[in-house]
Amino acid sequence: MLKYLVSRVIATIPVIIGVTVFTFIVMHLAAGSYVPGLDLNPNLKPEDEAMIKHYLGLDRPLYEQYLTWMAGVVHGDFGRSMIDGSLVSRHIGDRLPATLELTVTAILMGVLISIPLGVTGALRRGSKIDHALTALSVGGFAIPGFWLGLMLILIFSVQLQAWGMPFLPSGGVMTPGTGGGDPLDRLVHLIMPATVLSFVYLSIWSRFTRSSMLEVLSQDYVRTARAKGMSGRRVVYLHALRNAVIPLVTLVGLELPSLVSGGLVVEVVFSWPGIGKLLYERALQTDYSTVLGITTFAALLVVLGNLLADFLYALLDPRIRYA
Amino acid sequence: MIDPVIVEAPPVATPLATRRAIQSYWSAAFSRLRRNRIGMASGALLLFFVLVALAAPLLARLITHTNYSSQDLANTFANPLSPGHILGTDDLGRDELTRLLFGAQVSMGIGFLAVSVSLAIGATVGLVAGYYGGLIDGVLMRFVDIILAIPSIFLFILMSILFKPNTVTLALIIASVGWGSIARLVRGEVLSVRTRDFMVATRALGARDVRLIVRHLLPNVLHVLIVFGSLYLGSVILIEAALDFLGLGINPPIPSWGNMLTNSETFFFHSRWLVIWPGVMIFLAVLAANLFGNAVRDAFDPRLRGE
Amino acid sequence: MPGPLLDVHDLKTQFFTPEGVVKAVDGVSFELNAGETLGIVGESGSGKSVTALSLMRLIPPPGRVVSGRVIYDGNDLTKLSESEMQGIRGESIAMIFQDPMTSLNPVFKVGWQVGEPLMLHRAESKAKAFTSAVSVLGKVGIPSPADRARDYPHHFSGGMRQRAMIAMGLTTTPKVLIADEPTTALDVTIQAQILELLRNVNREFGTATILITHNLGVVAGMCERVMVMYAGRIVESGPTEDVFAHPKHPYTWSLLRSIPRLDADRHEALKPIEGLPPDLIDLPPGCAFHPRCVFAIERCKRDTPVLNRVGETQLAACWVTQSGTELRDA
Repeated sequence: MLKYLVSRVIATIPVIIGVTVFTFIVMHLAAGSYVPGLDLNPNLKPEDEAMIKHYLGLDRPLYEQYLTWMAGVVHGDFGRSMIDGSLVSRHIGDRLPATLELTVTAILMGVLISIPLGVTGALRRGSKIDHALTALSVGGFAIPGFWLGLMLILIFSVQLQAWGMPFLPSGGVMTPGTGGGDPLDRLVHLIMPATVLSFVYLSIWSRFTRSSMLEVLSQDYVRTARAKGMSGRRVVYLHALRNAVIPLVTLVGLELPSLVSGGLVVEVVFSWPGIGKLLYERALQTDYSTVLGITTFAALLVVLGNLLADFLYALLDPRIRYA
Repeated sequence: MIDPVIVEAPPVATPLATRRAIQSYWSAAFSRLRRNRIGMASGALLLFFVLVALAAPLLARLITHTNYSSQDLANTFANPLSPGHILGTDDLGRDELTRLLFGAQVSMGIGFLAVSVSLAIGATVGLVAGYYGGLIDGVLMRFVDIILAIPSIFLFILMSILFKPNTVTLALIIASVGWGSIARLVRGEVLSVRTRDFMVATRALGARDVRLIVRHLLPNVLHVLIVFGSLYLGSVILIEAALDFLGLGINPPIPSWGNMLTNSETFFFHSRWLVIWPGVMIFLAVLAANLFGNAVRDAFDPRLRGE
Repeated sequence: MPGPLLDVHDLKTQFFTPEGVVKAVDGVSFELNAGETLGIVGESGSGKSVTALSLMRLIPPPGRVVSGRVIYDGNDLTKLSESEMQGIRGESIAMIFQDPMTSLNPVFKVGWQVGEPLMLHRAESKAKAFTSAVSVLGKVGIPSPADRARDYPHHFSGGMRQRAMIAMGLTTTPKVLIADEPTTALDVTIQAQILELLRNVNREFGTATILITHNLGVVAGMCERVMVMYAGRIVESGPTEDVFAHPKHPYTWSLLRSIPRLDADRHEALKPIEGLPPDLIDLPPGCAFHPRCVFAIERCKRDTPVLNRVGETQLAACWVTQSGTELRDA
């Protein structure tokens, strides 16, 4: 077991190095030795400029700069903004909770709705309901997320307001000035973006649950269960479902890396103050270092998340440990 | 009471004893595809979009008599079915239908180009990594791991601010991430095929590496590529539209379905239609691509169908 | 003695596939008496498993029992509602299956699964059913049953799993036990043990047993009577000893001759049955076996033979033997 864990960690290190190297290279290609705010001062003499650059370590050999970057990353320092010098890690800290609120809710919604939909489709295979559900999931996957978000805002926020009816807010986490303390207010703000984000998960996972369920229903142990004189309901909800959701859990687990990045488009459309929206805003300002800092952070999360998943599998399945 | 449907294969006697015809792998798949009505219909729809994309300038000349950038500020936000503008005009008086036609060029063009490039690179990497194994495999797959670790949307945004893309470069940007999953997929398939007897036998006949890879390995992993490619097309169209919408892809005046929706909320009260048409187009194109992709997948492996 | 326990009359089960209608069971009739052991023998595709599943009404779509009667305890099982049938399955008629590895639910404890029929049919509590399960597990020869009952199926070896399955079938002391290829997936040494177990169960509990297999040796060791099936029909039936000693159907005859013997001459060629089993969608006219039969006459190609008495104790569906011809080497 220990050997397996160690080997997994060792395999991960090159990836981490690779990611940091990649972002470092891009950083240099894009911005070179740019220093924020430096060109705003018209009186800056060349030797002062050189002194500042020396102070910031920008005249050191590349590999040294890379090592500084790497060391920073390991300590949670993802650089500073090119625009205002602010710490990327502080931005991440500020915005991460909002993003997680959105993505975790979306994933939960996805799971809780997919399972009944998938089971129904499997049980009533070939029926009108099944066809309708399949159409819904295929269709749902084809709808552009940003468009769905737009349409929902236009219908439930703009149009309802124009008709003088109660309406949903068109963006933001909370009504300005409330300080975020009112759970109902937050819920009302959360509902549209979370729905839009969960839509894609729903379409994929409900179909997956359906086929997983069908697969389980064709297993021998289901036949055994029926032969024992069990009612259909018990066969399905007790014997079959327990087995059918296992692969779904795996699939949901694969989505965990996108907890940070998956909500970007939704965040932009709904002005949701998360990491994705931050990255987008900074990108429009060509603030490369912030963009890269956030990207590095997210990539590291993905890598660590995968590592964690590997550990969990080993814990659950003894066969994997000795592969 | 729901009686659970149990799926089991019916007991059919050995097919060898029958007098029914036996088909080759490819023709069997193809005839299964042909029999799939939804698949054929969506394939036809996809083909329609492709043809429209190819013929956009011609269609514009024949049907709408205008191009996508000619403005008519006196006639902004015209409703559909107004004279000369079947689908209305946008905020600058440009004809909506024409812009949609040219938008098809962008979506279809980038879609197919990105998919082709992804498949080409991914297949090559996957074949080489899977076939040679060892250090080459290790190194290549680490590259793939690195690419796949970085969230793709972040990467796209990053690259688009670096390179300020046009149609072709945008396709390449999207392809630069897509090849990773394909490489993994192909490699997995190669690993399972490579140990099969016919490979060993061909090797024993003296076939060299390249020949083995191209003439024997590749045809056997081709179905994976075809299935993935058709399913990936829909995703590419969605990604590209989202990037355009965010202003990080194709920008006006070149119309794309995505950028026609940028800032469209502000136009909502002037003309609802402006928000609807481009979204519907994206939806239909992606739907067609996905349904066709599903049909292709089912054609190659009906066991997976369960439909 | 009262009538037979199970009276099957002209059972027909078909599968409606895109390629055509598969006549898996094509007019099967037989009786099973209380406490009796009956073997159903045939190749893959002969319809033996489908027959058993038809009795239990466990045929999945696109299959259906198309016609026939299955009389049990005065009722026609084919006419019962699904919930009435559920009351019979696992209670009066139990069925165990071929592959114990996949026939047990991997996520539930063995003791719980074995006790489940009691929870279902006797409304016993989980704890009581578990206790009963432990005792049955002991009876089928599983050591330390109390501990083993708390394990999951993947902790059991193949033979133990099959014993657990048998235990599962016995908890409600059913009148009929149907065993579908119970030993096929097991090692030879374990096979013998399982068959021994089934024999004991039959003796001790008086459970009528239908044993489905393709292995003639298994039948010889276990069953009082045997039915031979081919292409969905019964071609021969009778007391096992008689059928094996003087088979009255060319198929049975060829089967018995094709088995390699320890006492045969080393250089003697094996005698397989030429040809392949027929396509159940597209059966040949007349007798389904005639293309492979060395005794076939003109009539065999035209008329489908009917199961009739041939010799004192046996039934056979063959024009040749029904007309008095003895089956012997040419």
